[in-house]
Amino acid sequence: MSRSITLGQYLPGESLIHRLNPRLKILDLVVILVLLFTLQSFTGLAVLLGVVLVLFALAGVPFRYVLRGLRPIFFIVLFALVIYFFFTGGGVVLFRLGFITIESEGVRQGLFVVGRLVILIMFSLLLTLTTTPLSLTSGMGFYLKPFRYVGLPTEEVAMIMAVALRFIPTLMEESQRLMRAQLARGADFESGSFFHRAKNLVPLIVPLFVSAFRRADELALAMEARGYRIGAKRSSLYEDVIKPRDWAALALILTLLGTAVLLGL
Amino acid sequence: MVSEASTIIEAIAVNFSYREEETSQVPALSRVNLKVFRGEHVALIGPNGSGKTTLLKLFNALLIPQTGEVLVEGISTSNESEHARIRQVCGMIFQNPDNQLVATTVEEDIAFGLENLALPSSEIRRRVDEVAGLLGLEHLLRQPPHLLSGGEKQRVAIAGVLAMEPACILMDEPTSMLDPAGRREVMSTMHNLHRDSRLALVHVTHSPEEAVHADRVVVLDHGRIVKEGPPEEVMTNLELLHHYRLQGATAVELAEMLRKDGYPLSPQLLHSRELVDSICSLEQKS
Amino acid sequence: MFIGTEKLTHTYMPGTPFATEALKNVSFSIEKGDFVLLLGPSGSGKSTLIQHLNGLLKPTSGKVHFDREVIGKEKRSLLHLRRRIGIVFQMPEEQFFSETVYDEVAFAPRNLNLAENQVDQKVKDALNRVGLAAEELAGRHPFQLSAGQKRLVAIAAVLSLEPEVLIFDEPTAGLDAAGKKNLFNMLEYFNRQESLTIIISTHHLDEAAALVNRVLVLEGGRLIMQGAAEEIFSKRQELYDAGLALPPVTEIMHELRQKGLPVSTAIFTLDEARQEIINLKRRRYR
Repeated sequence: MSRSITLGQYLPGESLIHRLNPRLKILDLVVILVLLFTLQSFTGLAVLLGVVLVLFALAGVPFRYVLRGLRPIFFIVLFALVIYFFFTGGGVVLFRLGFITIESEGVRQGLFVVGRLVILIMFSLLLTLTTTPLSLTSGMGFYLKPFRYVGLPTEEVAMIMAVALRFIPTLMEESQRLMRAQLARGADFESGSFFHRAKNLVPLIVPLFVSAFRRADELALAMEARGYRIGAKRSSLYEDVIKPRDWAALALILTLLGTAVLLGL
Repeated sequence: MVSEASTIIEAIAVNFSYREEETSQVPALSRVNLKVFRGEHVALIGPNGSGKTTLLKLFNALLIPQTGEVLVEGISTSNESEHARIRQVCGMIFQNPDNQLVATTVEEDIAFGLENLALPSSEIRRRVDEVAGLLGLEHLLRQPPHLLSGGEKQRVAIAGVLAMEPACILMDEPTSMLDPAGRREVMSTMHNLHRDSRLALVHVTHSPEEAVHADRVVVLDHGRIVKEGPPEEVMTNLELLHHYRLQGATAVELAEMLRKDGYPLSPQLLHSRELVDSICSLEQKS
Repeated sequence: MFIGTEKLTHTYMPGTPFATEALKNVSFSIEKGDFVLLLGPSGSGKSTLIQHLNGLLKPTSGKVHFDREVIGKEKRSLLHLRRRIGIVFQMPEEQFFSETVYDEVAFAPRNLNLAENQVDQKVKDALNRVGLAAEELAGRHPFQLSAGQKRLVAIAAVLSLEPEVLIFDEPTAGLDAAGKKNLFNMLEYFNRQESLTIIISTHHLDEAAALVNRVLVLEGGRLIMQGAAEEIFSKRQELYDAGLALPPVTEIMHELRQKGLPVSTAIFTLDEARQEIINLKRRRYR
């Protein structure tokens, strides 16, 4: 049993957000990204923060999942704040100790950049928590379709991405089990020079590769046994229907963008 | 006696070798003739390397025989254009529960085969829900596969095959990688399915306890069928089983030992319940 | 106490909303030369417990004892510990990464930084102990071996540390009947003739029950029963409630007893069962 929840894991639910069409959700995220990067004021950021929190509530996502999703960037955020606070100057001096200076402009920029990053991650989390990986990849597959005309096998690429996503947790568990087994044989993955440690990874990498190939073989057979054929036409469990609510969501977001630009936020 | 229409799978004079083995002495399968009838539960047993899994894969056209023919509902498996149809008629469950689940959630995985058949979304949805209800998987539909137990994973695989409305399910040691609880879960699911629908089962197994529940047991060794018959005949024949390095079910082994001590136990005794009842009634009589 | 734990508790992801207590207050004691069976349904904490015994995991609270010392945290002592306590995980042949059998078995002693001639000795000894011909197999590629041989090489790869304690997680998974028998014979030899302390975690009770002298039963992270095999396997209902089954032969004896026959249920082999049933007659004619 996987004991950790990977970043972006799907959280099952029936909310409005869950039921939006994945293709349009991706488009929505793109528009929001554009919006985020055109904003220049804290007011704008605050409004967006409010929006994303409301959306999380609508989606029924417990706040702890949001916190967990933000954990990986904790150090980046801290690092960015330090850089901006201590090394960006301008404006009023807020604090001085020896040659350490913190000026208001540095604080302002630091908070703004970090705020934007956090909100960006939160919107992405909203997408991945409320959309199954498979429908995300098929949604992205839709946008890749034009490439079909230049010879890219988009259907197969989408399938590859979906299968890879499916196996990430499984492979992670397997690598942990493998590590324990090799540790029990006296392996050491921590000490020594860089090259020494790289060499010591061989007992991890080789078996993982072998097992991955074996899995791929077995999986391919199972897929064939269920009628999968490369190049054959496939349908989908999900109605790829765009409902009025999807357009409404997009319209709302575009309105936000327009309003923000007009108000000079 | 048995009409042709009731034969789902027929292997006729099948010979098969894996590519590297073509020049070796012993092919994977040689001169195999076997029929599987509608609604029948056939157990395939034999030591490792006897060709059981190979035979199973010939039944759904994953492998094609070099000589001889395999017919599924009358269609030859060498007919590539019919493979989709053949694989819908004969679904397959594999040994490793993980390596046959393709999608990121349970319902998407059950839908996989139906998507390959290019069925409309509404039909796919209907069948997924129906099959999930049948197998008690409704509460797991949106779960990702890696959080399921071994038994649950196998049931999802069974659901995926069942949704394709097959006539026959081929199972390659479906319980060998499961713990006892998972094994019980999967075997009772299969028994219920077999009992409630006219689904044929071809079941490769190493467990004599599973083989005794079949309608017919086929013993393979070195690529040949060496014995075929109902479990009362095959699974009680310990001399035969031991000769092919196979174990008998515990009750059967014990019964044989007691018979040698003079206990008049039925030669067709298969299950522990029969053994317990027989011993008790013998004790009561004296 | 040669190896054991004292109020061992292990929590995964402590302090987060996802914290799970995998082991709760587990205390047990194993003597040198014991052959111990670790039983428990999936998720009961068996594999967590095993990992504590050679320092792969650190207790959240409580202690792990080995040879009158508490297992500590320093890295050097961990390596020393792993030399004395060897763990063979499930499907150990999946860890192979070397080009020759020799290198695979030599991996462990080489990690101990021994001189190459010492490593050579340990490799040859280990291969001999598992019954493989070192001269013949040492240069072969591990993937070219049969399934049974691979398993033996994987075991030799841990034996080359010359541990005093051997811990196995599902040692017979994936082996056929002959392979299973061979493996348990080997374990019996290691325990009785070489005085190794052996702990096995398995669901395959038919062979294990007859060989072990102590049984530990885990459920939901707690040690719900511990004691001699006869004692534990007489508690049929408690084992059922915990999701476990008895060895098939023992189950038959329990059923006979339930029907009123005065048989012992401390029976773990077919021979013992036969003897006990025959004795019923003898007792009557006394």
